Amino acid sequence: MFDYRRKALETLARLGPRYLPFADAASDEVPLSRLLRLSLFQVSVGMALVLLVGTLNCVMIVELKVPATLVAGMLALPLLFAPFRALIGFRSDTHRSALGWRRVPFIWKGTLLQWGGFAIMPMALLALSGLGYAAEAPRWLGLSSAALAFLLVGAGVHTVQTVGLALATDLVPDEDQPKVVGLMYVMLLLGMIVSALAFGALLETYSPGRLIQVIQGAAVVTLILNGAALWKQEPRDRGRAAATGPRPEFADAWRAFAARPGAIGLLVIIGLGTAGFGMADVLLEPYGGEALGLSVAQTTKLTAVLAAGGLVGFTMASRWLGRGTSAIGMAAFGAALGVPAFAGIIVSSFAAAPALFVAATLLAGFAGGLFGHGTLTAAMRAAPREQVGLALGAWGAVQATAAGLAVALGGVIRDAVAGLGGAVGPATPYLPVFGLEIVLLALALLAVQPLKKRETRHHGKDVYVR
Amino acid sequence: MSDNEDKVWPTGLTLREAEEVHSYLIDGTRVFGLIALLAHILVAYTTPWLG
Repeated sequence: MFDYRRKALETLARLGPRYLPFADAASDEVPLSRLLRLSLFQVSVGMALVLLVGTLNCVMIVELKVPATLVAGMLALPLLFAPFRALIGFRSDTHRSALGWRRVPFIWKGTLLQWGGFAIMPMALLALSGLGYAAEAPRWLGLSSAALAFLLVGAGVHTVQTVGLALATDLVPDEDQPKVVGLMYVMLLLGMIVSALAFGALLETYSPGRLIQVIQGAAVVTLILNGAALWKQEPRDRGRAAATGPRPEFADAWRAFAARPGAIGLLVIIGLGTAGFGMADVLLEPYGGEALGLSVAQTTKLTAVLAAGGLVGFTMASRWLGRGTSAIGMAAFGAALGVPAFAGIIVSSFAAAPALFVAATLLAGFAGGLFGHGTLTAAMRAAPREQVGLALGAWGAVQATAAGLAVALGGVIRDAVAGLGGAVGPATPYLPVFGLEIVLLALALLAVQPLKKRETRHHGKDVYVR
Repeated sequence: MSDNEDKVWPTGLTLREAEEVHSYLIDGTRVFGLIALLAHILVAYTTPWLG
């Protein structure tokens, strides 16, 4: 009897580590396959973004007959959490864990939040619509549960992306960071493209039951992707586990971060450039349709053209940065390319040249890819290793807030100009938006100059040398 | 490593480590339970379930 017991325990102890989510001893070289697996969290983030901004936006208005202002308000809720990314990143930097983990607990909790939000979202949306069986559902229940669902998904996405990027930064040596940034961006884009196609196909014949299946399916996929992504990725750190003493305060850490030369300047550039590139994301398709007379099938391909430009941009950026190009310089190059791209988009409506419009869209995607890659790489290098979470949180907070506000502002400007009346042509409401994008990119270029100057003073090396 | 008095057989975790793993399990169960409860209430309102 005793022998059996001992044998079972020994077998368990031997098998144990294989079935525990701990990484093997920290090695210098993390294989690409493991980084690819880690980047799956970006696929789930991309899926969530597409579901919120694209699919549900459309379904709520068209199928569920929810007023457009309420839809816009609900979809803006996740944005409220964006500024907290800096705090989340800081928390993960300084997390105390007996297991010696600092990233995995946060990614896991973020995953649970995202999963929970998607799990209740379809029924919350049905209750919000008040159609069919949901007619007797009280109004407050639909409103509060839908708001809760969007808040949960938003909090989950922000946490997973911030801490996931920090974990990726932890895992690779400094010179490989551009490759990781490129990989993360490409996977985000791939996740968005694949899930947009999948959601479109699945919801072609809409029914409430199908909506529940699709969104709850997304919840399960989130859990699977993120679980696979973080499995055996983070090594246990005994030194960190044994750490005692008072935890550093966020305010102190932020002051130290902001006092680094160029840190605030970088955040300003990220905000201006992201707003500049992001403002027209959702306006390109209607612009192509109204101003250039493209068909719906043709305008849908515009988003694919923009994404393709982005993919090329990320790939080229990884290559150039890997050869030692400065990250800030490349972000500036991206912003500089964005100016003629949006100018081309404006001109194409006067010249009635769809070919020029497509080419300019491709260039805008490419320039946006260079800019995004350059600024994220610069953000990764903007802080010492123990503050990477804070630095990436600050990047994400500015980036997500700027992108969200820019999309909203672009829509408001378009509607306001269209509402003025006496518009000269169908293109007129869009042109101020594209013009504003050029102005924002030019401002970003101006803001880059002091950083570039400091860089040349440091013999062409990156500003943020650790 | 094996001379650590805190190690609990058969997992080889110390008490603090075991308690942390346990806390993840408990937190996960609580979140799961709350989400499931809310989802059931919403389903009861929005579908023919329960008449």
